[in-house]
Amino acid sequence: MAKGTFSGPLEKVDACCYRIPKSFRPDMRVDGLIFASEKMIETLRHDQACEQVANVATLPGIQMASLAMPDIHWGYGFCIGGVCATDPAEGGVISPGGVGYDINCGVRLIKTNLFLDDVTPHLRGLIKALFHTVPAGVGRTGKYKFDEAETKRILSEGPRFVIERELGTLADLDHTEANGRIDGADPDEVSKHAIQRGSQQCGTLGSGNHFLEVQVVDSIADADVAKAFGLEHNQICVMIHSGSRGLGYQVCDDALVQFRNVPQKYGITLPDRQLACAPADSPEGKKYIGAMRAAANFGFSNRQLLMHQTREVFADVFGRSWQDLGMHLLYDVAHNIAKLEEHTVEGKLKKVWVHRKGATRAFPAGHPELPEAFRHTGQPVIIPGDMGRASWVLVGGANSMLRSFGTTCHGAGRAMSRTAAVKDAAGRRIDKELEARGVIAMSSSRQGLAEEQPKAYKHVDDVVNVVHEAGLSRKVARMRPIGVIKG
Amino acid sequence: MHEHFEHTADLGLRATAADLDTLFAEAAECLFEAIVELSAVKPNQSVEVALTGSDREYLLFDWLRELLRLADQDRMLFSKFKVHVNDDGLIGTAWGEPLDAGKHELIREVKAITYHELKVEPHEGGWLAEVIVDI
Repeated sequence: MAKGTFSGPLEKVDACCYRIPKSFRPDMRVDGLIFASEKMIETLRHDQACEQVANVATLPGIQMASLAMPDIHWGYGFCIGGVCATDPAEGGVISPGGVGYDINCGVRLIKTNLFLDDVTPHLRGLIKALFHTVPAGVGRTGKYKFDEAETKRILSEGPRFVIERELGTLADLDHTEANGRIDGADPDEVSKHAIQRGSQQCGTLGSGNHFLEVQVVDSIADADVAKAFGLEHNQICVMIHSGSRGLGYQVCDDALVQFRNVPQKYGITLPDRQLACAPADSPEGKKYIGAMRAAANFGFSNRQLLMHQTREVFADVFGRSWQDLGMHLLYDVAHNIAKLEEHTVEGKLKKVWVHRKGATRAFPAGHPELPEAFRHTGQPVIIPGDMGRASWVLVGGANSMLRSFGTTCHGAGRAMSRTAAVKDAAGRRIDKELEARGVIAMSSSRQGLAEEQPKAYKHVDDVVNVVHEAGLSRKVARMRPIGVIKG
Repeated sequence: MHEHFEHTADLGLRATAADLDTLFAEAAECLFEAIVELSAVKPNQSVEVALTGSDREYLLFDWLRELLRLADQDRMLFSKFKVHVNDDGLIGTAWGEPLDAGKHELIREVKAITYHELKVEPHEGGWLAEVIVDI
């Protein structure tokens, strides 16, 4: 794990929240607030993440507190699980490190009208077909190739562009965060290199912790909301976790180079150069925002094409159209993004830049931005766990707007470095171990499975329990994987 | 000399050398060793890189970043490097060959060079470089 321990104060606010007071360091403008259980906090002291929460608290224009979700772990500049909101009216900044390299890495959950008994006899064939159809792994390009003009349209319009080519339906957009299109995207701010990286990769899974999983709903925690979402016990679902591929990475990389001397230009002193930022309303800030939004639209489109390929495989294996199989999208959420949103801070309604890095939007019932389908329940939140244990569907909680700028966790969080996970896996067949647990796993690299073995992750149940208790999002249904494909 | 070291979700590259020119070449080898089995990459074609910059750490960063960009853009792998570093930049040559899935087994994808704990500093009479790469 990362070097260094955190010896600063971690004051208990309540059973699931700890504070780093701003008095800890003279450069902190606000407190740090970490949503975590007592058990988690002790481990957290051995991770640089707490110091990173304090670092983010120094950013100009930061509102309320520098936050972190219980899946917190060390990241570049901002920790993973880091959340902050900055007010442009107070010189608030936009920081690429607060979004992450994989812009709009996110996850979507597709329902089916199949149940465990329907799928079990076909499972191996299904996973093989998915593995052979959905491009995954290092350097893999996809079957959908777009030229520069088409890629720029994807960057502007999001999945609507591919849906108009019959690679989905308009209803999919209603069930995507921001309707799959963040306004104000500027494809001209995306470099040629980024476009080149993306043009061949739309509709590919990627590598690392990205996956496509066939899951079964294992338990229902909130019967009313589960019913409203169309989820029931033993139902088969498909979860897709992927992002904006090489394009998003390149946009972040380009921005970090462009921002090298920008903080000094605006008189901003940073405790960590990876917090490189610019006032959101500055020319540099606006350029990054335009490119980031474009990359986000690419991420939604990538997941749309991954879903389309999944629907085609299911139709092929089960001999019925995906519509007859009830393969409707529950929801698609981003967990690496920055968005301009209205929030009440100290009684005042403000437009703030909410940075969610490894954190998911979780708007509660009644929020005007929610589609009609979820206005009375609250927003579905999709939480991928690890491939051996569980994933969750949550719903936006009553306290999210008050406590966390409408945000909750995003997943399980790593507990073990990739190198340690690979060493630990030496001599073991992770695929066989998973099979013994009832999971058929296929990966294009043995190293991939080793790095992503269940032991390498914290338990998602622990993470989800904290956000549930804090009122950021409530548990709805728990799913366990029965088949997974990885890069 | 160079080696990989572990770092949470990603990978560390560490190189040591008696002089800066060798250090930058070692760091480049270290990078590509993370990507592919280097012995399978024949140094048949070359590409030149010229960079300006007086900050040694940013220069190392930009050198590795440019190599990644060329590899990605031209679908190439590189296994041999020669660099000349001076006070305001560097000139480097990288030798390699086109990526061939049949010949080259890709170990992992290096998605970005990061600034985290980026180091180029004097060390035991020579130089040390450390870079974390996102994988």
